[in-house]
Amino acid sequence: MRLMIVIFLMVCGSAFATEDRYEFANAERENTFRELTHELRCPKCQNQNIADSDAVVAKDLRDKVLSLVNEGKSKDEVIDYMIDRYGYFVHYQPPVTPATIILWVLPIFIVVVGFGFIVFRQKKASSKQTWSEQDEQLLNKLIKQYQRREQ
Amino acid sequence: MNRKLLGLIPFLIFILLCVFLYQGLFGNPRELQTGRLGQQMPSFTLPDLMSDSKQWQESDLLGEVYLLNVWGTWCPTCVAELSYLTELREQGVRIIGLYYEQGYDPDFGDQFDINKLRAEVNAMLARTGNPYQFNILDLKRTLALDLGVSGAPETFLVDKQGKILLHHTGDINQRVWRAKFAPKLMELTQ
Repeated sequence: MRLMIVIFLMVCGSAFATEDRYEFANAERENTFRELTHELRCPKCQNQNIADSDAVVAKDLRDKVLSLVNEGKSKDEVIDYMIDRYGYFVHYQPPVTPATIILWVLPIFIVVVGFGFIVFRQKKASSKQTWSEQDEQLLNKLIKQYQRREQ
Repeated sequence: MNRKLLGLIPFLIFILLCVFLYQGLFGNPRELQTGRLGQQMPSFTLPDLMSDSKQWQESDLLGEVYLLNVWGTWCPTCVAELSYLTELREQGVRIIGLYYEQGYDPDFGDQFDINKLRAEVNAMLARTGNPYQFNILDLKRTLALDLGVSGAPETFLVDKQGKILLHHTGDINQRVWRAKFAPKLMELTQ
């Protein structure tokens, strides 16, 4: 029985090893490759990353990323390499440019304006309420009236 | 008066949003632009599709304005545009083919048969007309990757100095030609 388990585990191990056909010099490069293939976008099957897509171009990009990583290129260098060829579209993280700055500014703007509006309205509402001497006398009178009634 | 104007703000935001979303209806997400626009043709050395001995380099293409058309016989849209491209050739447009071989993948042990491919291409061009001055065979799709090609058909307009001026994804028809390519070509030839 024990032998069976050992054999079973060995078979499992080798099955896993054949599935991963990419080879790396060290774990750091493997990590970089994994991150890149999840961050780069397939130009053909849009809304899939290149790790996920089966399109020919996605495979070509994966192979290119692999060879660049194995040459010792850093993550940013590989991303720049791809952007040079496929434009900003190929990276899931848009850069801050005059055209895209609105993505960062607009949410902050809306929150600031929203809170500003609330504060402004409350101040306005509280300054509108006037409380005169007559109101005070009337209030006191009413309180006394009700107190008497309760007794 | 001031309050009325303030009340209009949500309405204005709504109108702006409508305009933005309405435009989105007509955008084509497949219309990608290469990162190479305005740059020189990347350097390459690739064989001719029809001849074993001939090798092409980027410097061989200089001196004349040309279209670089990425295509393959496996791609139905490419086949559909061949006859229109042939018309363009007859009007004097210089078209160079970049043959994008899709089926071949050495990782899957595919065998590549150049003679079979040549016969296929010849048969097809005999049927539709041949728009190409010559074809460059990009078997491993290296030039395609350097150009930011995501599939076929795609077409680049390149000027005399080898600068990439236009990138079009999808087929070329009369409408696309008139709207996108013809004005740019006129500018160049004047």
